Amino acid sequence: MANEERSRTDVALSHEAAQVKSAEAIRAIPSVLTEFRCPTCGKVFGSYANLQYHYADEHPEFVVPETIVLHINGKDCEVLVEPHWTLQRTLQFRLDLTGAKHMCGKGACGSCTVIIDGRAVLSCITLAVECVGKSITTIEGIAANPKWKPLVDAYCKWDAMQCGYCTPGFLVTAKALLDKNPDPSEDEIREALSGNICICGTYPRHTTAILEAAPQIAAGG
Amino acid sequence: MADLAGVNGQREHFRVVGKPNLPGILSYSLATGIAKFGIDYVVPNMLEARFLRSPYANARVVSVDTTRARAIPGVVDIVTWEDEDIKKLGQSPFGGKSRPYLDNIADYEGAEVGVIVIAENEDICEEALRQLDVEWEILPHVVDILEGRKPDAPVIRPPEFNEIPPGMFDPRPDPNHPKKGNVSFAITIDGDIEEGFAEADQVIEYELKLPAFASHIPNPPGSVAWWFDDPYYGGGKSLHIEGAVQRRESVGSMYGLPPEKTVQVGLFQGGKYCDWGMRKSQEITPLLAKRAGRPVRCVNSREETFDFLMKERYMYLKVGFKNNGLITAIDDFSISDGGSQGSSSFGTANDQGYGPYYTFRCKNIRQTMEIVDSNRGKMYLSGQHCPFNWDAGTMAIYLIAEKLGKDPIDIAKVNLHGPDSQDDPRPVPSFEACLEEGKKLMDWKWHPAGTKRLPDGRMHGASFRYQICPRHAFSGYDVKLELRNGEVHLPTQGPCTGIYAVEANAMVVAEELGLEYEDIKVDFDYREKFTPVGGGSDGTTASAWATKECANILKQKILEAVIEEANNPPPPSMFSFGMPQEPSPFKGLKPEDLDMADGKVIVKADPSKGVPLKQATRKNIFATYSGRPPAAIWSLGMGKMLDTMNTAYCEVAVDTETGEVEILRFVVVADPGKVMRLTSLESQIDQVMYFSQGCQLMEEYVYDERTGVKLTNNMIDYKKPTMLDVPPVERKFLETRAGNAAYGASGISHSLANTHMVIIAIHNAIGVWVDPPATPDKILKALGKA
Ligand code: FES
Ligand code: FES
Repeated sequence: MANEERSRTDVALSHEAAQVKSAEAIRAIPSVLTEFRCPTCGKVFGSYANLQYHYADEHPEFVVPETIVLHINGKDCEVLVEPHWTLQRTLQFRLDLTGAKHMCGKGACGSCTVIIDGRAVLSCITLAVECVGKSITTIEGIAANPKWKPLVDAYCKWDAMQCGYCTPGFLVTAKALLDKNPDPSEDEIREALSGNICICGTYPRHTTAILEAAPQIAAGG
Repeated sequence: MADLAGVNGQREHFRVVGKPNLPGILSYSLATGIAKFGIDYVVPNMLEARFLRSPYANARVVSVDTTRARAIPGVVDIVTWEDEDIKKLGQSPFGGKSRPYLDNIADYEGAEVGVIVIAENEDICEEALRQLDVEWEILPHVVDILEGRKPDAPVIRPPEFNEIPPGMFDPRPDPNHPKKGNVSFAITIDGDIEEGFAEADQVIEYELKLPAFASHIPNPPGSVAWWFDDPYYGGGKSLHIEGAVQRRESVGSMYGLPPEKTVQVGLFQGGKYCDWGMRKSQEITPLLAKRAGRPVRCVNSREETFDFLMKERYMYLKVGFKNNGLITAIDDFSISDGGSQGSSSFGTANDQGYGPYYTFRCKNIRQTMEIVDSNRGKMYLSGQHCPFNWDAGTMAIYLIAEKLGKDPIDIAKVNLHGPDSQDDPRPVPSFEACLEEGKKLMDWKWHPAGTKRLPDGRMHGASFRYQICPRHAFSGYDVKLELRNGEVHLPTQGPCTGIYAVEANAMVVAEELGLEYEDIKVDFDYREKFTPVGGGSDGTTASAWATKECANILKQKILEAVIEEANNPPPPSMFSFGMPQEPSPFKGLKPEDLDMADGKVIVKADPSKGVPLKQATRKNIFATYSGRPPAAIWSLGMGKMLDTMNTAYCEVAVDTETGEVEILRFVVVADPGKVMRLTSLESQIDQVMYFSQGCQLMEEYVYDERTGVKLTNNMIDYKKPTMLDVPPVERKFLETRAGNAAYGASGISHSLANTHMVIIAIHNAIGVWVDPPATPDKILKALGKA
């Protein structure tokens, strides 16, 4: 344990390394659950049925968590959630995908944006159970896909981030825009990104980056 | 001054420093969401914790019965303020009175008070908090400081809090005016105010309200902590904490740990803009983890993170001036929000003596202040002070100009003292250069208030403001550079807070060693000493000065090693298989005959003779430098000496039918001395302009007077500018090289942030004053239309 604790911080990444890490994060999500941890008391069970029995015996007054299958970044992932859990919380707490950031928790800032069936959606006000059967793309999926390299490169080249906390949300929204409109005007970009708040004032940088990346993406990178 | 004390401070040619569009070293991690901030950490077997927060603006927990809460399945532990371990946490190692870390007093709504619950998940925490049987004593509150200062206002602060010694950033108390009711008094007098007014030809009086402004850290603060067996450092347990970026050591020391026994791997912290105070959720998790024997996470919600970056202040000014506009006396009386107990006064009540007036020739200044205890909320350490409060001076210049029918820029010129002192009659070259460019960019043609209508019928207004480019001069740096296997490494503990300080330092190393930016390997390791911070772009100038020194020490050592190897070649390795060794082109030379350029070690006299750095020496070499650049000029004279400056301009159109204000553009001409990293410097300007726009047009704390509850502590009701709101910011940078940090840089810091540049432009458009935030309803009211 102590050796692990004393590892260096491996975050000074090239684009290629970031792509690999993002792909690894997606790969690391188990497709099928083998462990069912009771969110109420922390006990771990080998099957969902045993967890259900446990609830009946020990927490009869509680709602039993559900197992659902989410289709995230092209992969089906079985996940244990409580019915009121948001998608943002599910991504962070169950799937270790931390790119959808929690800033406002109220649908007012866009930091938690993901794409669901082609539309930019705020994952902090979307229930995970609502997402079953839908196709979810997170920043990790975009980062892992070489098609979007020009967009990520342009973001980094133009400092379309200062502290970077809001940045994945912007980038996901930008991708959703470019999916629909591969050649957006400056005004269309501003309109599309107007639901994303950046405290650090990076707004003009996003337009520059997207305008630079769009033709490269349209031309296939 | 300039960078005369450092090596190559006068460098003429730059290949790397100042270059735009070099991606940040951490940018790919940030953009792709790989970067983890404190709130992002989820670790196996982790518990969650929540503080009880006061629903009242001023209250005391008389008693709490935790029985029902403890009975909830999944509740692991409940801490109360009476527990021995948390009582110990509050003790100051230096003795003296201090407030307990957790007590039963809540002096603003949302304050952490009395109880912490630890449970399997956050929903159970919330439920447990609801099931606590808390007996509250609800006390009278003050959220309107003008009411709170009245003699009959209820006294809101328990007397024992007044016995806590003042913090280092508290204002200078008025010795003749002891605290009365909620009000403390502070005073600073320079010169002779009566004499100053006697000299004046005219006197103006005016009021301005500096609005409260939210610090709004992008990532809600919080931490996760756990303890682990650590055989390396004295055995026993060591602490791992994430989410206490830049405060690892101080959190460790709260638990009696030496620095080496506190681990923190994460680097990332959302923009704090000088709100560097730690929240309780970032400090308490080690205690909770110790009690629970498991990792514990505790994070604030957004609603719990609506602390002040700047507290509210009312200013009443009386200014005497000559008919040429020269100010002879300033009498400044302020009523300032003291906030809840423990609120920082840095930059609000504490700015006396160096704040708003330090660039004026006028020496007769009296600043008196009432600081009113309130239940409005808390300001952690903030440094947005001098720029914001400086607007009392900006207002004086504008009002004198209005009164005299003159251009405010001319009034500013009359009042600005020279580079060396308040008596120095010379112009400040940096200011003059900024002004010349600014006027050109703006096509500056001043008009009196309410006299210019645009073709679309709206009224046109413009304003002007100047400030110093202050380099924070207080940090020292311990830099280490290594040549390892032919590559240059810059080890640092970070952090990454959005100012690209690490990058600027890497650029300086590359510049000095004849390498490219990409050649410098930055190793992030929490155990390293070097942290390139120091306030805004100061991190890129002051720390880079120390890095520049270190790079030159490394260079010298490399060149010595190269000569040593050239003259005494190491024996061929077993893998050279008897191949003859090329003789070194440096044989017989001295280190001073060599230089480094284009990634090579070269012979100065014949640069065509060169060897790539990787092959020039096989040695691994390191160099260290501990020190700081010479103190910044402004700090030597508390603002009475001037080197690098900036000017800013704002142009608005006001629709007098709807009350809507459109900022047509901001223009900034700034002299950071030397541009270190252009792209982020531009962004920093944008950011402070949007801060300024937000606090003057949109952002507002609204309280329910009856309950003292904050009504706008969320991102729906407290409006930040969006991409559709922000105006264009036209910027131009000058490089006078007049600062005395790296290469003559000063940086920008947040010196362009302001509370009244837009407000003044609105006045220039419509001829009436509107307090910030100037929302359409307020404009119409001021125009007598609502
Ligand atoms: S965190 Fe989801 S919109 Fe702000
Ligand atoms: S970069 Fe900091 S919030 Fe956007």
